[in-house]
Amino acid sequence: MARMKFLCDSKRCIECNGCVTACKNENDVEWGIQRRRVVTINDGEPGETSISVACMHCSDAPCMAVCPTDCFYQTDDGIVLHNKDLCIGCGYCLYACPFGAPQFPSDAAFGERGKMDKCTFCAGGPEEDNSPEEKAKYGANRIAEGKLPMCAEMCSTKALLAGDANEVSDIFRERVIYRGHNDGAWSMSEEELAYDATQQKV
Amino acid sequence: MLRFKLPPLFLLLAALLFSNLAMATPSDAKVAGFAGADYWNVVKQGDQGSTQAQGQEAGQLINVAGEEWRLWRNQWVTPAGAYAIGGTLAILAIFYLIVGQKKLDAPRSGELIERWKRLDRANHWTVAILFIILAVSGLSLLYGKFFLRDVLGDSLWANYIMLCKLAHNYLGPLFVLGLLFMIVRWMKHNIFNGTDIVWFLKGGGIVGKAHPSAGYMNGGEKIWFWLLTIVGLVVCASGLVMDFQNFGQDRETMQIANLLHGVGSLILIVGSFGHIYIGTLGTEGALEGMKTGYVDETWAKQHHDLWYEEVKNGNDKSSS
Amino acid sequence: MRLTKKSNQPAAATKATGLGLSRRRFLKNSGVAAGGVAAVGMMSPGMMKQAEAATASAGAPTDVKRTICSHCSVGCGVYAEVQNGVWTGQEPAFDHPFNAGGHCAKGAALREHGHGDRRLKYPMKLVDGKWKKLSWEDAINEVGDKMLQVRKESGPDSVYWLGSAKFSNEQAYLFRKYAAMWGTNNVDHQARICHSTTVAGVANTWGYGAMTNSFNDIHFAKSIILIGSNPAEAHPVSLQHIFRAKERNKAHIICVDPRFTRTAAHADEYVRIRPGSDVAFIWGLLWHIFENGWEDKQFIQQRVYGMDEVRAEVKNWTPDEVENVTGVKESQMRRAAKELAENRPGTVIWCMGGTQHTTGNNNTRAYCILMLALGNMGTSGGGTNIFRGHDNVQGATDLGILSHTLPGYYGLSDGAWKHWSKVWDVDHSWMQDRFDQTVYRKLKPMNNKGIPVSRWIDGILEDKKLIDQKDNLRVMVCWGHAVNSQTRGPEMKKAIEKLDTLVIVDPYPTHAAVMSDRKDGVYLIPACTQFETYGSVTASNRSIQWRDQVIEPLFESKPDHEIMYLFSKKLGFDKQLFKNIEIKNNQPVVEDITREINKGMWTIGYTGQSPERLKLHQKNWHTFNFDTLKGEGGPASDEYYGMPWPCWGTAEQGHPGTPILYDTSKSVADGGLTFRARFGVERDGVSLLAEGSFGKDSDIKDGYPEFSDKLLKKLGWWDDLTAEEKQMAEGKNWKTDLSGGIQRVAIAHGCSPFGNAKARAVVWTFPDKVPLHREPLYTPRRDLVSKYPTWNDSESMYRLPTMYKSIQDKDVSKEYPIILTSGRLVEYEGGGEETRSNPWLAELQQEMFVEVNPVDANNLGFKDGEDVWVEGAEGGKVLVKALVTRRVDEGVVFMPFHFGGMFQGKDLTDKYPSGAAPYVIGEAANTATTYGYDPVTQMQETKVTLCRVQKATA
Repeated sequence: MARMKFLCDSKRCIECNGCVTACKNENDVEWGIQRRRVVTINDGEPGETSISVACMHCSDAPCMAVCPTDCFYQTDDGIVLHNKDLCIGCGYCLYACPFGAPQFPSDAAFGERGKMDKCTFCAGGPEEDNSPEEKAKYGANRIAEGKLPMCAEMCSTKALLAGDANEVSDIFRERVIYRGHNDGAWSMSEEELAYDATQQKV
Repeated sequence: MLRFKLPPLFLLLAALLFSNLAMATPSDAKVAGFAGADYWNVVKQGDQGSTQAQGQEAGQLINVAGEEWRLWRNQWVTPAGAYAIGGTLAILAIFYLIVGQKKLDAPRSGELIERWKRLDRANHWTVAILFIILAVSGLSLLYGKFFLRDVLGDSLWANYIMLCKLAHNYLGPLFVLGLLFMIVRWMKHNIFNGTDIVWFLKGGGIVGKAHPSAGYMNGGEKIWFWLLTIVGLVVCASGLVMDFQNFGQDRETMQIANLLHGVGSLILIVGSFGHIYIGTLGTEGALEGMKTGYVDETWAKQHHDLWYEEVKNGNDKSSS
Repeated sequence: MRLTKKSNQPAAATKATGLGLSRRRFLKNSGVAAGGVAAVGMMSPGMMKQAEAATASAGAPTDVKRTICSHCSVGCGVYAEVQNGVWTGQEPAFDHPFNAGGHCAKGAALREHGHGDRRLKYPMKLVDGKWKKLSWEDAINEVGDKMLQVRKESGPDSVYWLGSAKFSNEQAYLFRKYAAMWGTNNVDHQARICHSTTVAGVANTWGYGAMTNSFNDIHFAKSIILIGSNPAEAHPVSLQHIFRAKERNKAHIICVDPRFTRTAAHADEYVRIRPGSDVAFIWGLLWHIFENGWEDKQFIQQRVYGMDEVRAEVKNWTPDEVENVTGVKESQMRRAAKELAENRPGTVIWCMGGTQHTTGNNNTRAYCILMLALGNMGTSGGGTNIFRGHDNVQGATDLGILSHTLPGYYGLSDGAWKHWSKVWDVDHSWMQDRFDQTVYRKLKPMNNKGIPVSRWIDGILEDKKLIDQKDNLRVMVCWGHAVNSQTRGPEMKKAIEKLDTLVIVDPYPTHAAVMSDRKDGVYLIPACTQFETYGSVTASNRSIQWRDQVIEPLFESKPDHEIMYLFSKKLGFDKQLFKNIEIKNNQPVVEDITREINKGMWTIGYTGQSPERLKLHQKNWHTFNFDTLKGEGGPASDEYYGMPWPCWGTAEQGHPGTPILYDTSKSVADGGLTFRARFGVERDGVSLLAEGSFGKDSDIKDGYPEFSDKLLKKLGWWDDLTAEEKQMAEGKNWKTDLSGGIQRVAIAHGCSPFGNAKARAVVWTFPDKVPLHREPLYTPRRDLVSKYPTWNDSESMYRLPTMYKSIQDKDVSKEYPIILTSGRLVEYEGGGEETRSNPWLAELQQEMFVEVNPVDANNLGFKDGEDVWVEGAEGGKVLVKALVTRRVDEGVVFMPFHFGGMFQGKDLTDKYPSGAAPYVIGEAANTATTYGYDPVTQMQETKVTLCRVQKATA
């Protein structure tokens, strides 16, 4: 079974923000909500490195774990989706998410944040696939159409990959071999690929 | 129902880069490898990068504290709260079954003494009702998903939990006002003194026939007051921090506020069980005072003998 | 924190969502969205079909249109999905040979063009400071009457026609023809301030002034030197190709720039030079190359003229002097030179950082000479890969929206006019009558270069006695051109206020509509975008691509060619303008215009790309190879994608296009070429023709001059022509023979129609024969001014007096100690009106800023995020946010130039027609930029001037 993942090849990410506007375009995301963003470390200095981040569709998703209403669900493909009808806008998912993925349309007093919005891996929501309701609430459902998330499909340098984790890492591995590093390229790379927030060393 | 598992959290984030030190020392360019460790060190400290995204903390790649908060909340606070609540209820039930209600030693005299003014009672019941609403909605937010969703079905559950959130967020600030008023108004009754030491030494006379002396408020009530004051203020403050997130609090502040709020609230809820038990089922005649404002002299003599004497001597300071 | 193995991933509990098995199988088979060869293979038609089929079942029937992104010259393909006339979806074109589905922020936000919330919705005019709606008829009549009145009083040269690189090829060509028939050469477009110095410098080095190879061909490069170019922001999709070279070919990437750009972040070596020291830097590299004998001696001997003169100049550029002038240390210079020498073929990429200088033509020639010395020309993986800016700036340049030439670089000589009069089927004498026939400084306006876009403000403000035409400019037509991309903002404001009438034809109101204090005499005419019409567009690599019409024009807007038709009718030359072009429903038929282009553009081979062939290529994106652009099977087999010009001869001759210029390893018939014999056959007794170098299959095994009827006869090839061809070719040459016969016969013999010569390292017709380093007009290095002074002032360049020395002689470096340079942001384009009106883009860049080094910020007493005034050396000042960063060096500040709608601290939002103000406004960087123009092309200086920065006090 496919397990859907994003992977951003930071050697190729040039912070062109194509993924960001591709997402806006495909999902008609309103002003102020950034389902995806590009973060650059050491901006303007040697070592400048950019990475495109959105919901990473964690296998053991912290948002799911802390949601008071249990509005999240994970598809067979490991995509973490949520039901906006259940969302009460408490913001807990945002506190828990390692990536800052959950977004809220409002920021008013009395905890009025509106319904949470986040990357759906272009897989819509619980409504019927590609129904107008689904489109209005969650944006596109490309997965149901046999396509993959728009951000990755439109990445200018093919830095952002999306798809089955195995295939994504195969492509990545192939690239790394081409790059031909002296350290053997892949010797340490699987470890490099993933970040396990539950096993932090202090 | 409550399963706290610790499966490896697998977050696939690409993190591979050449050591861009190559920039500084170009001769090393060819041996550049992944800067995994260096990179993660930066990221793991939650360092801010730059981004064109406008959201708060958008530049922070990894919200490191989030996982910690999740562990604290889900692994400690949630189960501990459940055990505490369950345990307290069980103890009270067993206690009631074994000891039963504390009856009045003597028959009612029929003479009533004013104990709580209208304002006191209004204050108490406002705070009490709000407390119950907040407790129920708060507990629903913490535990509801484990059983209520299945019981209610999605549609009802969605409405109920939304109502809980709205009630919690809008009534919470009212509770704060009520509690502050109560603290200010009742503070003077609740200063500990020597009598309380004896009262504590005698265990408040919960069991047996002995009745330790007590003034307007006995030691137990004072404890409840100070618990409400100290923990209550923490709960209120943390609640306000979370309720008015529009001041741009960052995630870490919210996480801490949430934990304080949760722990504090659970303590108060557990405490309130005792208070409610003693004030209703546990003690005959206790509820009357708060219901009508007046207590029977017999009850006053038995539970608050020093106050009774003061009232009789005409120098009751409590209701001035 | 720990990094765990992916295989340890737990099978987390999941919920069934009822998604079908077929989908999962599909996902399993296709796997990923992107990535390298594997992805490209899988992104072939199969995926697209599946996608289309799936979408079609979703609701209303979906029409899929093939179009090309309009934001830069990479030419990315786009699938636009249209339902009931609404642009509802945008799909990545994985099968497109340039972008393989990839897009930058702008391309990925393209569909917003179908919303156009902030567009100009109907014709308007400014009356007493208020915008008033007009009917199209009234707008054309009022503007037309004004023009005719000005024409009568001040001559045709008093109307300025500022065209656009946003036109399709057909519109661009029509616009130049339109200006010609109006009777003026005062017509220009963005190329003047974009790559004009490239076109001049490069064309004068080896024949054609364009990108020699292609984005895709960079795959084969072993070294890449980027100078004054930041493709990571300006041409993001090109990085896909650069990374391919870097990863697969181990190409060594050197990035030379005053700023540590996002491109530099991905380079192997970053070289920081002082702004404006490009020639010194290149000579510094060549010093090491010559010193170590790393040059390609055989290549130079066979194919380069004048390298010895360069050698003599390079001798002066010792490592010490190079460090003194550029700031680069010897060790780094040597290392860079060695990398370039050891990793051949290598390519040079440059953009505005090299061109937008008073010394721009010197810079571009120096880059060419570097490639010639290394023998990198005419080979796959080598070449000068000049990335153009706007989507069709290459096409608009080729089709001559320029004040110094007619379409096809024919120039303005009587011969050129006769050639085009013949193509247009009008009498040459009628053409002449359209012009002012007075002689100014020995030239008639018809044969004299018009005022360039960089100087239109001088055309208004300069004393009219000093201008080589009858009167000042009185009517300014900004047709798809943002004025905030030109320097000297405060003077521009004065100029606009002095005009009789300002006419803006654009999808948006633009900064021009709001920056002045005019209360009347401004007309806004709503043009539509390229997605609301169709036609061809030339990418930077010379490939011509066909665009479908995606949607009908929004609101009351009209396509540019229709507006040209309406104006020409009003102005009275529509019969001549559209003699060979059918008008259907008030619209000129686009294909007819393409055919007319084919009929006359022999110089650069725009003759073989008929509309039919272009559409065939458009329908078969997937059949072209991603590395070579060559058709592999299919209906366009063995042709190169978009038939990159020159595509010789007529369409019937079936030339495949020329993917790499001057590549002698291919036969000319298969897209090979030699260097062009453009500069005569000898100079001072030395032959300029190639020696022992010739194209594959060439019947002439040496250099040869350009082909003409006489040469054919001399060679005994005249009889290869048909009788009909002979008749047309008599007395003609390869550029003017409308039958294409001369080209056909030359190619049949394996020869380049334009001859086989040497490239020239010295351009004796330019102010500096050998490119020289000259200090910028505004330089902080006063100590270098005497050694490297600028040129003397000129009485007339492009009709206008032009200053050099008199400006440089004033020392303002005390008052204005900091170098100001400018450049691009990835989210915006050009003057930015279009992109700042796109909410998806505008959200990402909400504030105009200036990049300042922390040292300067600390010395000047402000912090990151604070408001500062940046005041240019001529007094124009802008109020912007400080962005404190090490990206810029000490003593250098940088501003992006896409902002507008604010002027010297004043918010102009209220001055836009209601609902048409862009989402984001900001100070235009060019309000603070200063005087300075290249002597060959009048390129403006935007990359080096001086300024001071002060904290703004509220």
